[in-house]
Amino acid sequence: MSTSYGAYAGTVLKIDLTSRTVSDYPVSDEDRRLFLGGKILAARIMNDFIKGPMDPYGEENVLVVSSCPLNATGCPSSSRFNVSTVSPLTGLLTSSNCGGSFGCALKRAGYDALVITGKSESLIYLDITRDGVEFKDAEHLRGKKTMDTQRSIGGKSSKLVIGPAGENLVRYACAVSDERAAGRGGVGAVMGSKNLKAIVVTGTKNPAVYNEKALRKVKAKWTKRLKSHPLTGEQLPRLGTAALIASMQQKRLLATKNFTDGRYEGYKSITGEELAEKFLIRNKGCISCPIRCARVVEVNGECVKGPEVEIMGLMGANILNDDLGDIIRWNYEMDELGMDTISASGTIAFAMELKEKGMWDSGLEFGKTDNISEVLEEIAFRSSERGNRLAEGAKRLSDEFGGEDFCIQVKGMELSAYEPRGAVGQGLGYSVANRGGCHLNAGYEVVVEGLGLTINPYTTHGKAEIAVMFQNLMEAVSAGGNCLFTTYAFFPFFLFKRPNSFLSKTVNKALPYLGGPLHVINKYPHLAHIHLTAMLPHTKALEAATGMKITMGDLMRIGARGFNLERMINARMGVSAKDDKLPKRLTEEEQVPGDPRTKVPQPLLKKKFYFARGWDEDGKVKPKTAKYYSLDALDDIGARRSDAEANIGK
Amino acid sequence: MVTVEFFGLYRLNYHMKSVEVEASTVKELFKKLYEINPFYSVKELKHSIVIVNDVNFNDLKKYRTPLKDGDRVLIMSPASGG
Repeated sequence: MSTSYGAYAGTVLKIDLTSRTVSDYPVSDEDRRLFLGGKILAARIMNDFIKGPMDPYGEENVLVVSSCPLNATGCPSSSRFNVSTVSPLTGLLTSSNCGGSFGCALKRAGYDALVITGKSESLIYLDITRDGVEFKDAEHLRGKKTMDTQRSIGGKSSKLVIGPAGENLVRYACAVSDERAAGRGGVGAVMGSKNLKAIVVTGTKNPAVYNEKALRKVKAKWTKRLKSHPLTGEQLPRLGTAALIASMQQKRLLATKNFTDGRYEGYKSITGEELAEKFLIRNKGCISCPIRCARVVEVNGECVKGPEVEIMGLMGANILNDDLGDIIRWNYEMDELGMDTISASGTIAFAMELKEKGMWDSGLEFGKTDNISEVLEEIAFRSSERGNRLAEGAKRLSDEFGGEDFCIQVKGMELSAYEPRGAVGQGLGYSVANRGGCHLNAGYEVVVEGLGLTINPYTTHGKAEIAVMFQNLMEAVSAGGNCLFTTYAFFPFFLFKRPNSFLSKTVNKALPYLGGPLHVINKYPHLAHIHLTAMLPHTKALEAATGMKITMGDLMRIGARGFNLERMINARMGVSAKDDKLPKRLTEEEQVPGDPRTKVPQPLLKKKFYFARGWDEDGKVKPKTAKYYSLDALDDIGARRSDAEANIGK
Repeated sequence: MVTVEFFGLYRLNYHMKSVEVEASTVKELFKKLYEINPFYSVKELKHSIVIVNDVNFNDLKKYRTPLKDGDRVLIMSPASGG
């Protein structure tokens, strides 16, 4: 295989673990043009394999590990790669994004993506180089934690590994590369079900880019912009994502006691400021990232990755714990055991409420923290009845013990730490996200509903249109290989530097009422035949790297294509409007008693969202919408095998 | 006395978590903060998010917002991320 585009390696490998055979998977340049890379290209490939409901642990499930066009180009914050599969947690298509070195190395080894099928008879790891794939015994790695596994394999290769949680099929097990995790959706459990302990890749040669000189120019300007922006240049490097905790508290967005409230009285000791003052050793970044938002802290005498805002909320306020030292330790333990911190924390909080209501006594109680480490081990190794049940996630606990109304999940995936009754657009996003209760796939509208901008968090005006726009943008930026934080530089400086100015206040007041114009842009993105180089240099970088012509409209269209394709795949697995729902606690109970604004008006927001997306009343992608995004007649890539040559360079 | 608490970059820049000040308006509070600690910049304070007893001062009388004994003021740098 080859490609006429720059920045791509040109080859997608299909690896069958059952027969231990390797072949080319014939992805064409037309696929690259339409689906770009990362999660969207992965969805295009998964589309060939998912014909209906599928057993996530069955041999037929597929794991697609995909790099992105900007990986290994040296663009700022562009090392993100993607892992897609059918999720054991949701039973639907999931995609999980990771900032480790694996994506860049994969590209350097000569591969755009890996399509892994089948199941190995024994525990193995894959050793991938430019020369091919070796299937190596991994029995000596069994039971090892994620960092230990990477150290044991050794060498300078990049690794994507699972820990005990993945081996033991914890439904929210993650895969880890360096210290970064492909966290959500249980991709680690799928690796475990395939007896795949790790993928090791050695790559040294960066793929050629289309226009090196132009790309160098974009990179220099882009880096300068990120370094000078108040968010990406100062706040994120100094305080990390945890800077949000205090704002979340003020805006009633800090999930507290399993989402019974949006404020926690003990919040002051679990803030990003406390983390910076008492625990931070230094900050750190992914490859080629000037933002460097990651925290380095010390646990057991070792320098390790510190916690993000999500776990600080979920293992802090949401379980009524005000000890930041505990959170740092649990975060480290979960990373080492190889499990998603968000789903694990959400499941624990739900179990605590079950205990409080006398529905299931797991020994977990709000405010009681002395047994959490023990429980995390039990989950990862499924070594007790309690651990075994918690390893199934919150939804399956509620199926067994009840409590559906306060089981804080969507489509089986536990919500992040943002309490949506304090930001109803975020609530809408959670309910319709393809991945399930994920704050990012939701569109992360909370960023304009209180964290950053301060538009009215309770109004329904404009929220559906903003959600669609943000989802599309984030899908496309992910598929290009960038960290989503690069999109923050989109917001003009004055909104952050001068939040009390007349102009900032006017923007915040007006934004919800711009739903009409936003709807037109969302519906006909090709009309946006422009570049916003100063704010979003992604399009210029992609053009210079690949040689494709990509305007802002094209980028938004690629994002929308990805979101709609994922929805179409999920629809084949049974998803419809009935599944786009938050638990009743968030839609029927007021967060602030007596204030009817403080609950998510789900039916109205969903209706507006379906209209904005071009979906029918049952949440199905309309044929007209599918056609607009060239999704109406997708062929089976795998079936192209016989005439693969004819498709090259199309 | 009014209790003032700092969050975000201001807290790191000013090297102070909280302070008690006597002031009758937000404007006066800013001036007093500057007198207490030269690290405080009145200009920077004006561009901060100011919460007076859980309400953003933009929704009150902004710099003219009256303060009384026992009030709680939070001064935060604009934040985002996650």
